[in-house]
Amino acid sequence: MRNRQIPKGLRDLLPDEVKVIRNMEKKAAQLFSSYAYEEVMTPTFEYLEVIEAGRGSRREDLFLFVDREGGILSLRPEVTGSIARMASIHLHDADFPRRLFYMANVFRHVQPQLAQYREFRQTGVELLGAEGIWADAEVINIAVKLLEIMGLKSFKISINQLPIFNSLLDESGLNSEDRSLVRQLVEEKDLVELYRLLEGLDIDDELKDTIAALPVLHGGLEVIKRIPYVEKNRKASAAVEELIKIYDALKLYGATSHIVVDMGVLRNLDYYTGLVFEGYSPDLGYGLLGGGRYDNLLGQFGLSCPATGFALHMDRLALVLPCREEERDHYLLGGGDFPSLIAQAEKLRKQGYIVEMDLGGHSQAELEKKIEGKENWTLIYLD
Amino acid sequence: MKQDFLTIALSKGTLLKPTVKLLEQAQLPVSGLSEDSRNMVFSYEEEGIKYLMCRPTDVPTYVEQGAADLGIVGKDVIVEQAKDVFEMVDLKYGYCRFVVAVPDSMKDRNLREFNYRRVASKFPLITEKFFRERGLQVDVIKLHGNVELAPLMGLADMIVDLVSTGRTLKENNLVELVKIMDSTTRLICNRVSYRIKHERIQPLIEKIQKIVKGGTGNEIA
Repeated sequence: MRNRQIPKGLRDLLPDEVKVIRNMEKKAAQLFSSYAYEEVMTPTFEYLEVIEAGRGSRREDLFLFVDREGGILSLRPEVTGSIARMASIHLHDADFPRRLFYMANVFRHVQPQLAQYREFRQTGVELLGAEGIWADAEVINIAVKLLEIMGLKSFKISINQLPIFNSLLDESGLNSEDRSLVRQLVEEKDLVELYRLLEGLDIDDELKDTIAALPVLHGGLEVIKRIPYVEKNRKASAAVEELIKIYDALKLYGATSHIVVDMGVLRNLDYYTGLVFEGYSPDLGYGLLGGGRYDNLLGQFGLSCPATGFALHMDRLALVLPCREEERDHYLLGGGDFPSLIAQAEKLRKQGYIVEMDLGGHSQAELEKKIEGKENWTLIYLD
Repeated sequence: MKQDFLTIALSKGTLLKPTVKLLEQAQLPVSGLSEDSRNMVFSYEEEGIKYLMCRPTDVPTYVEQGAADLGIVGKDVIVEQAKDVFEMVDLKYGYCRFVVAVPDSMKDRNLREFNYRRVASKFPLITEKFFRERGLQVDVIKLHGNVELAPLMGLADMIVDLVSTGRTLKENNLVELVKIMDSTTRLICNRVSYRIKHERIQPLIEKIQKIVKGGTGNEIA
């Protein structure tokens, strides 16, 4: 029966699941607002050109269709690209920095399985028009605080500075083909092939070892001392300096207990330009959030402007959250005296309680049985 | 992903013996570890190690989803499954290679002559990618075993298959036309485990790297 199926990778969310999501949204919105971020909404689908100027999503991951004017449209696979487009049209003479946040469903043509959905909810912040360590630290701190207020006990946020890797690669003197091969292997995390490729390349041995070591360097700030070659490269050492400063800034926020420095966070190397980070829970094999500095994106839409931000995968977070919070008190009203019942119900609702009317004409005994074992339920029976 | 245990997915079959040997050399517990047992999970409380006995093709799935932190599996399987996992160490054993093979009578042909032909394989992804990257198009016929039979029976013009010695090909009057890639066994790691359980995983990886480099009896099996 086709009319009982839903497309692959999509889900119905039942009341208990929606409660979890709405609760997360509420907490996130409160947190973002307290840092002066304002909510925006962008269209659910955009011209393909906009989407492709964004994260450079692979086309096979997009849901594409055509409008009757012949434009190729794509359901948004993420929101940052749309916000960049929006900012370039509507905010170009705004006072910067602008702090924006969003909550939106996004669509990706992934192979569906646990934690991989074709439609899922994201929430995120974008800090537009601010450069420097204090902007980076603010955004990372919000990511830490976000996972904290969601009630996640143990999680880690890995941070890295992409310019360390990029400037070493630039210096290697490799031709662009080898360079993009190195990047590809690093992004695919195929370290075996990476070592093999590096072995055969004609570059400085120490540099080679450093490039090979970066994807697995991981720990506190001290790991930076374990990348020997970096001192020789001015750009790379400047990037390292900055990473240390950002770490120190996060200390001021009291946010470092969850932070690790991880030179292996090397994602979307063509998109991010500076500090990048990812968040993980020990209870899920996939990342929960990711973000970083993307100073070149807005330029693609004609507004040259630095920017940084992150997005949280809410459906994944929902999989690892501890049990739901207490609900408000719940009244069940039954009996035949509807004038009194309705008056009573409206009064209670005004006071903020949840009031449910029995519509089945059940007896008092039947209704008492219904609320048995439910802690915050009360029965009012008026006949 | 249980935090207190380090869970390792192992490939049943031919890889198991050299794998157990490697684990032993890396001073991991192996007593009673065998696929003949009915057990699918082997727990070693004291050492905090758990092994899952898996079909090789399932190992990348267990690791990608975090049901196992680490996995030991052939590169051939990793490529065909295209899962998002860290590939950490080349363990060197379990060598085999992907080849395009054709009937004896076609042995001197150029690969281009097989454009638009039919190819039978257990590995449709690798097959399709290989031909596509060369600008060729083929009809991939997915089979689940005895692929050598397909050209004999006229089901396909050629096959893409894994070969270690080449004997099976010869027995079926097939010859290797092109090598697609070499494959050996790899140690793979879940992307989150690698970060969350770094203190346990990194030393283990370094130990295994040393063993493999030292070549202590673990050369190509």
